Amino acid sequence: MTERDEQQQPAEQDFAADSAKGVARRKLLLGGGLAAASAVVSIRPALAQSAASVLHCQIPVPDPGRAGQMIAADGRLVPQGTEDAFPASGRPFTGEEVKAALRQGRTLPGTTREQSRAYLNYIRRLQGGTSGFTCYASLQMPR
Amino acid sequence: MSGDERHYSGDDPHELLLRPLDGLTLVYHRPSGATHIVDSPVPEILAILGPQPQSPADLLARLAGEYDLGDRDEALAGLEGHLGSLCALGLARAG
Repeated sequence: MTERDEQQQPAEQDFAADSAKGVARRKLLLGGGLAAASAVVSIRPALAQSAASVLHCQIPVPDPGRAGQMIAADGRLVPQGTEDAFPASGRPFTGEEVKAALRQGRTLPGTTREQSRAYLNYIRRLQGGTSGFTCYASLQMPR
Repeated sequence: MSGDERHYSGDDPHELLLRPLDGLTLVYHRPSGATHIVDSPVPEILAILGPQPQSPADLLARLAGEYDLGDRDEALAGLEGHLGSLCALGLARAG
């Protein structure tokens, strides 16, 4: 469908001329296997508007779609009444709170050490399509 | 399609808000309200897309003026791939 004829374009001469200048320029990788991975995450408007910034975005524990389930120590969601599991968090955590807990070992606000660990394990298991995933993903970006 | 190939355009630069973030770039697209977290070379491509439609070869020539792109054919194929992705994201238009 796409007919390509750019080989005849004058632009190619510009390209060659520019490339021949030999000036040390930053390398820009356009091709190769990196292409598909370049757009890392897209945040839909609803989330983007509710999140003033990445660190103010929120991670509910658990996802509202799974409200009523409990969080086991390893982060899995388990049915109500499961022994040694923790109840759902009464409020979502902000990206900043989760970042501080993950990087500095603090407990999440309003939780015990074990409860915080279970919640963080839940957050680490978040996958695309789950509430809070985009927020968590944004905390994982390379420095 | 009118010519031999697709031409690509972007929104008015004022419609995009780009902010660096830990080595990546946050792109806020005012018309859609969507935010995209993108890696190089997307910000560099967005920077040269304007309201005027341009061919991939023209866009490549502009990038070549600023960056070392390596093999031309590979770079052009890569650029076209990115332009297609940007169209899918609503950050560029093909015509």
